[in-house]
Amino acid sequence: MKAKIGIYVCECGPNIGETIDIPRVLETIPALEGYEDVELVPKSFGLLCSPAGKEYLAKEITDNGFTHLVVAACSPRDHNSTFIGVCKEAGLNPYLYKIINIREHCGWIIHDKEAATDKAIQYIRSGISRVLYQSELFERQLEITPDVLVIGGGIAGMEAALSLASHDRKVYLAEKTGELGGKAARFASLLPRQGRGADVIREKIKAVEENEHIRVHLNTELESSIGFLGNFEVVLAGNGDDEKTDLKVGAIIIATGYRMSDPGSFTGYEYADTDEVYSSLEIERMNGGEGIALRSGAKPASVALIHCVGRQEKGYCSRICCNYMMKIAGYFKKQSGATKVTEFFFDMCLPHKADQEFFDHSVGLGIDFKRVKEIGLSGTSVEFAETGGGKQKMDFDMVVLASAMEPSEDTEALAGLLEIDLDERGFFKEAHQTTDPVATSIDGIFVVGASQGPRGVSDSMLLAQATAGRIRCQLKPGGKIVPEVKVSEIMEAYCTGCRTCLEVCGYGAIYFDDQKGISIVNEAVCRGCGNCFGSCPSGALRTKHFTNKQLYREVTEALK
Amino acid sequence: MSHHESVVVVGAGLAGMKASLMLAHAGKKVHLVETLPIIGGATIKNEESFPNLECSTCLVAPIQQEVLQSPDIETMTLSAVEKIEGDKGNFTVTVRKAARYVKIADCIGCGMCYEPCPVSVANEWEENLGERKAIYVPCAGSLPNVPAVDKEHCLKLSGKQECNACVEACMFGAVDLDDKDETVNIEAGAVIVATGSGMFDASSLPNLGYGKFPGVYTPFEFERLFASNGPTLGEITIRDTGKVPAKIAIIHCVGRKEQGYCSGVCCMYSFKFAHFLKKKLPEASVYNLHSDICVPDKSYQKFFDGVKGTHTEMLYNSSMEDLKVSSNGAGLKVVYLDEAGAEREIDVDMVILSVAMVPDEGALGLAEALGIERDARGFFKVLDEGIVSVESSREGIFIAGTAEGPKDSQSSVIQAEAAVGQVLAFLESCRPEAAEALAEDLKA
Repeated sequence: MKAKIGIYVCECGPNIGETIDIPRVLETIPALEGYEDVELVPKSFGLLCSPAGKEYLAKEITDNGFTHLVVAACSPRDHNSTFIGVCKEAGLNPYLYKIINIREHCGWIIHDKEAATDKAIQYIRSGISRVLYQSELFERQLEITPDVLVIGGGIAGMEAALSLASHDRKVYLAEKTGELGGKAARFASLLPRQGRGADVIREKIKAVEENEHIRVHLNTELESSIGFLGNFEVVLAGNGDDEKTDLKVGAIIIATGYRMSDPGSFTGYEYADTDEVYSSLEIERMNGGEGIALRSGAKPASVALIHCVGRQEKGYCSRICCNYMMKIAGYFKKQSGATKVTEFFFDMCLPHKADQEFFDHSVGLGIDFKRVKEIGLSGTSVEFAETGGGKQKMDFDMVVLASAMEPSEDTEALAGLLEIDLDERGFFKEAHQTTDPVATSIDGIFVVGASQGPRGVSDSMLLAQATAGRIRCQLKPGGKIVPEVKVSEIMEAYCTGCRTCLEVCGYGAIYFDDQKGISIVNEAVCRGCGNCFGSCPSGALRTKHFTNKQLYREVTEALK
Repeated sequence: MSHHESVVVVGAGLAGMKASLMLAHAGKKVHLVETLPIIGGATIKNEESFPNLECSTCLVAPIQQEVLQSPDIETMTLSAVEKIEGDKGNFTVTVRKAARYVKIADCIGCGMCYEPCPVSVANEWEENLGERKAIYVPCAGSLPNVPAVDKEHCLKLSGKQECNACVEACMFGAVDLDDKDETVNIEAGAVIVATGSGMFDASSLPNLGYGKFPGVYTPFEFERLFASNGPTLGEITIRDTGKVPAKIAIIHCVGRKEQGYCSGVCCMYSFKFAHFLKKKLPEASVYNLHSDICVPDKSYQKFFDGVKGTHTEMLYNSSMEDLKVSSNGAGLKVVYLDEAGAEREIDVDMVILSVAMVPDEGALGLAEALGIERDARGFFKVLDEGIVSVESSREGIFIAGTAEGPKDSQSSVIQAEAAVGQVLAFLESCRPEAAEALAEDLKA
C-alpha cells in the first residue's frame, strides 16, 4: 500500500500563524524531493489542540485514510499526549505519528520570517522522513499476582505486611532469625512521643501471627529471584535446614534493617571488653532484663552518654541517636533519680516537631547536656572541650556510646541477588531520593525502614505504609500491568555474546542465555533507556521507536 | 460513580500532586483543589533542590504535566474547600471555585494579554519583589500556563473604569470577564489534606530588622532573587539599592524558640544558599550563623561538608535573643554572641533569615471547614502522632506533607504515598462487598 502522510500545521494563533509563512510550507511539502512514492497531504488549522481542532484532526485521519501523521505545532511537552490521544481515537497507531516543534524551535526564536519558514520546512521534512520508518507498536497487558514477599520481620517489614495483607492479597514474610520483631522488640520503651511505647511492637507481632493472609517463614532467607513487577518467581531457603519454598509474587519489599557500627572501631573510642563502656543496644538489653548495672552488679552512680560516635568517619548523621540517647538517659533516671547523667553532644538533632519538647523534658529530669567540639575516651574517663571552652576531664562509672547506624550485614549480598543498586554508604538506593523514595532501580522491588538509611521506628513504619500505598496502586488484585512498549530487542543472529549490554543495563533487563551463548532482553523489565543499543559493538540490539534507521533518517533530513 | 471511587485532594504541591497521580493510577477519580491559579506548591519557587541540587522545575514539571493531562484528575485552581458533610466514605465536599476570567480550554498561554493591561501591582507569588499585571501568570513556566484575572485590581472588574484591553488582545476569545464564581459539591469517599505550610513572620522579631532594612531577606525572597525565572532573572541584587552584595550573613533558627520546635530543613537550605551565593558571586563572603546543625538524612552531612569552609564560614551563634541586625550606614551590622558568649560583630550587605516552617495561614479555616483538629503548634493533628499515622481526627480524612509538620520534600512524598495506601485501604473497607468478605473471613 502506498504511504499517505497527513501533515498538519497548527497556526497557534499568531505564534506560528504570523511567524512562519504557512502557505509557503503547504506549497513546498508536496514537491519535496525523494518522496515521489509517497502521498503527502499538507494542511493547516487554527488551533489543533482546541476541542474543535482535535475533532477536526481525528476526522481528517479517518476520512483520508492516512497511514502516517505529522503534526507541526508546539513543544511535545505541551501537546504530544494530546495528539497521541487523537490518533488513538481515530484508529491510527500512535507510533506512526510524530510531533514537530516549529513554535519554540522556529517561530519564537527566529525573527526573520523567511529563515524561520525555511527551518520549519526542514524540520517537517525530517519528521516525514522519520515517520515513514516508524513501525506500529502495541501495548500488551500482562497478568499479575498481587501477592507480596517481605524480607525482614522487624517493625518495617511487619508494618508493610499488615498494611497489605487482605483476602485478595497474600503476604509472605521471610525472617532470617527465629523470631519476629527485629531490634526494636528488645527496647523497653520507644520515644515518649511514641505514647504506646514497646507495646506497639508486641501488638504488631501478635497481629502478624494472627493474620491468616500473612505466612511467616522464620529462619528463612531469599535464595533466588527472577522476574519483574507483577511476576517474580522467588525461592526461599531455610537457613537451618534444606527446606525450599517456591513462590510467585508481584512485588518484593526489602526490610532488612540496620546494624549498629562497632563503637570501639572509631578513633578516640577504642575500649577494652572489660571497660564499663557499652553500646546503646547493650543498654537496651540490660534495661529490658535485670536492670542496667556495672560488671560488678552495682548500679552506676554516674553515666556519660556520648552522641555522634562515628558520624564523621561514616559521613552521615544517623538521625535518631539524639532522641534515643535522651530516652536512655531517662532509663537511668527512672532506675535511680540520683544517677548523675551527662550527655555529650555535638549538634542536637531534633527534626520532628515533637522532639524539642522531649529535649526540654529531659533537661527537666536533671540531665546535664554538654555541647562539645571534641571528645575522647580513656576507660570511663571522658576528655572533652565544650564549645567556647578549654579541655576538661571527667570520670564516670559507666559510658554509653551512640554509634552510627550502618547497613545490615547481608545488604550487599541481597543487592547482588536482586540486582538493585546501593548508595555510596552501602544502604539501598532509592529510585529517586526526593520524588521516588521507596522504590529501587528495579520496578516492583521496594525498600523500607532502616535498610534505606538511618531511621527510627516511626519513620520505618511510615516508609512501610508508603510502600503499601505504591503496591496497592500498581498491583490491584485481578488487575493487569502494561509494560513499556519502546523497549530494546536483540537480533539473535548478530549477537556475538560479548556481554557488553549486561554491564550497561541499569534495570537488570538483560540476561545471558548460556546455551545459545547470547544476550536476551526481558521486554517486561526493559525501560527503553537505550544504553544497550548504544553500546552493542555488533549492532545486534535495537530500541523500538529509536532504531538506527529512524534516527538516521530524521537527522540526515534535518541537516540537509 | 459511587462515593468510594472518588477522592478529594486539597493542595496541589508535591505531596498533593503525587497523591493525586497515585490515586488516578489506582483507578480513582481525583478532585485536586488548589487555592492558587497554578499548581506545583512551594517546590517550584526554588531554582534547585537540596541535596542533589537538581533543577526543581525538572523534578516537578513532569509531575505537574502528568496531573494536568490525566483524564482522572480534575484540577480545580483558585478553589477552596468550604465545608464537608456526611461521613465515613460518603462525604459531600463543597468547593468554592473563584472565577479565573480566562477559559482554560481556549487559552494557549501565548501571553499576548498581559502587555496591554494598564494595571501593575506587586506580585505576591514573587514575594512582592516584582510586579505583575491584573491579568497574569505568577512566573514564567507556570502550569497550567493560563493567566487569571485578579478582580480586585482589574479596572473593569473592580468597577474603576471601563477597560477591555485583555479581551481585545486575545486572539482566541479566551478572556471572559463575565465569568462567575461557582460552588461545586463533590461526592467523595475520602479526603487528603496536603496544603503545605507557611513561614515564620520574621518581622515579629524586631531585632532582626526584617521589613526595616532592605538588605534583610526571607528564604523565599532569596529563592526568588536567585531564580532565573524570578523578578531579577536570577541576578542577586539588593532591593531598592540594586547593589550586588559582597558579604552575606545567613542566620539559622529564626523563630525556633518562639515556635517550640526545630524545622529540620533550615540548615540544609541555608547551606544551599551558601552554594547559590558562591556560584553566582564567587568573590562574596558568606557567613552561616548557626546553633545546632540538623542534617538528618543519610546524604545531608556530605552536602554540609561540601560547603563548610569553602562556600561559607561557620559562625556559632550562642543566643538568638542577643543577635541584632542594625544599619552601619553603608550596609548592615550583625552583632551576636559567639560560642564563649563574647560579643562579636560582622559587617555585611545582606542578611538572609532562615525562618521556621509554621502552619499555613489557611490551616485554621480549613480545619474548621473539614471538622478536623490541629495540634498545639497549629499543624493538622494526626492520630497517634508519636508512632506513625496519616489519619486525621476525622475518619476518612488523611494528612500529608508539611501540613502535618515541618519536613523535607522526601518525607512529604513518603507521607503522601502512605496516605494513598491508607485511603485505598479505607475505601476498600467502605465497600459493601468488604463487609461480606470480612464475614466470610471470620467464618473461615
